[in-house]
Amino acid sequence: MSSADFDREWRLGELFDARMLERIAPPLAELLGADLAILDRDGAALWGRPAAEARREALVLEIEPAGYLASSSADPARLRSAGRMFTALLRAEARYRMASALHLEAVTQDFETLKLEHSRLLASEARYRKLSEELEARVEAQVADLEARQLQLYQAEKLASVGQLAAGTAHEINNPLGFVSSNLGSFKHYLDTFAALHGRLAEGEAAWQSLDLDFVLADGAELLADCSAGLARIARIVADLKSFSNEGRPPTEAADLNACLQHAVSVIGTPPPGIRLHTALAPLPPLACNPGHLNQVFASLIRNALQAIQDAGRPGTVRIESEASAAGIHIRIADDGVGMSPAQLARAFEPFYTTRSIGTGTGLGLSTARNIVLAHHGSIELASTPGAGTTATLFFPTAP
Amino acid sequence: MPDQDAGSLSFKLVYYGPAQSGKTTNLLRLHDILSPELKGEVMTMETKDDRTLFFDLLPLGFRAPSGLLIKLRLFTVPGQVAHDGTRKAVLSRADGIVFVADSDRCQETNNGEAFQSMADNCHRVGLDFEHIPLVVQFNKRDLPGAVPEAEIRERWEAAPWPLHFAVALTGEGVEATFESLLRALYRRHDAELGLAREHGVGEQAFVAGMLGRP
Repeated sequence: MSSADFDREWRLGELFDARMLERIAPPLAELLGADLAILDRDGAALWGRPAAEARREALVLEIEPAGYLASSSADPARLRSAGRMFTALLRAEARYRMASALHLEAVTQDFETLKLEHSRLLASEARYRKLSEELEARVEAQVADLEARQLQLYQAEKLASVGQLAAGTAHEINNPLGFVSSNLGSFKHYLDTFAALHGRLAEGEAAWQSLDLDFVLADGAELLADCSAGLARIARIVADLKSFSNEGRPPTEAADLNACLQHAVSVIGTPPPGIRLHTALAPLPPLACNPGHLNQVFASLIRNALQAIQDAGRPGTVRIESEASAAGIHIRIADDGVGMSPAQLARAFEPFYTTRSIGTGTGLGLSTARNIVLAHHGSIELASTPGAGTTATLFFPTAP
Repeated sequence: MPDQDAGSLSFKLVYYGPAQSGKTTNLLRLHDILSPELKGEVMTMETKDDRTLFFDLLPLGFRAPSGLLIKLRLFTVPGQVAHDGTRKAVLSRADGIVFVADSDRCQETNNGEAFQSMADNCHRVGLDFEHIPLVVQFNKRDLPGAVPEAEIRERWEAAPWPLHFAVALTGEGVEATFESLLRALYRRHDAELGLAREHGVGEQAFVAGMLGRP
């Protein structure tokens, strides 16, 4: 038990110090009309000098004497009364001291509890801070990982669209190649006919007529004209491809998005039977952009639109519109095809989300398209009604 | 651990319980009933509207054949929820506890909360709640709304503490509760303090000495 505990056994000397005893003892001695000393519980004098043969009156605080009044000349009955009075004073003081010591102890306990709570709070705060730092680091690592993967996806989509493009382009080039080659075969035959004229020059005009050279001449010229038209078509396709893939251009340049739209349309080629492409392009201000990438976005959206109409199994129209406002450039690519359900619409921009069977769609078209549009600080939105069609709305800000 | 010096040994016992369950009344009745060799006055500290603000204290004691003075100091805690700091301080250094519960059925929640606060406070002031001598008294058995004894016994069946039923106002069961705690206290400390071995005080003598029975 420490000296601060409220429930310790109090000693007379600590309840009444020398100064207090000096105030109580002299009047008490006067009342007694005799000599007086005050002793602690071990008999040591706290006030006055006890005579050797002095009578002692115990001062009981609880159940044991806390001290004694000692007097050699006092009347025993009076000494007992003095003892009772002194005990009453002592108990009152003890009560007061115990109450204040208890109060102090309670307050200290509460304070200790608060300090403990406080240190616990500090510890948990430190723990959470550490946790949050770890989380931040992990988030950063995951973001970096995601960015790396997105780049891979982007490359994959690019490869996939290059593949689609290659297939489409092969078809487009094959067609003119076929007739140019067939025309050249016919032309060789016409040359043989002219060679035959050499042997029949003696027949004169009759040989010319018999070999039908008027026709050969006219048709030959036509064949050559067809060939050069075919080659021009191939040259245009190659030029389109070059501009589409952005090859040999700086990544960002001021471009006319209408040109990009037209490129995309021509790269896609002739729409399937029953589908009409309707373009309504208003003059646009130039946009600082990466035209190759935007070509890819537009081609992807137009291809989706065509596919949606084919899926509906009926004739339809893809409307491609552009217009400029004070804020920027608005482009709409709308179809009247199958449309999307709300569930499909909600996931349309998710990477790898596709409704097509495996091998026919990568599920990356819209996701990549959105990434490209966002990289141009633009926005892309889809609105769709099942059975009625889908509209993709794009916006590119031109204001600085 | 009881407080010990050359000539004396002092145990601190605490009456704990919800507000107005009769802790102070237990102490007042014990003061009337008991007649040990040494018995002090009940020291009642400040009260407000008959409710203890600090504590009450009843000192008792008797002298062992060896000359050792064995003292008991019985304290009550303030029951009101607001005085938890004071309650904790009074509970500090206790050697034994009487939990005074109110038998009234509408006091069941208060009993439960007070018991839980007692267990928590024991841990906070460093008392070994699992091993401290503890008895439980259900007071106010005379109330018309008192929970039947059988129901209480059934509920406390699994608990290791002795159960007592009392009407402290009339003194019924007060001494039996106290005696039960004295026996638990003796068994806990006899060996380490050498009460029987060195001081010639057996359990019966210990109980008789404190109660003041021949």
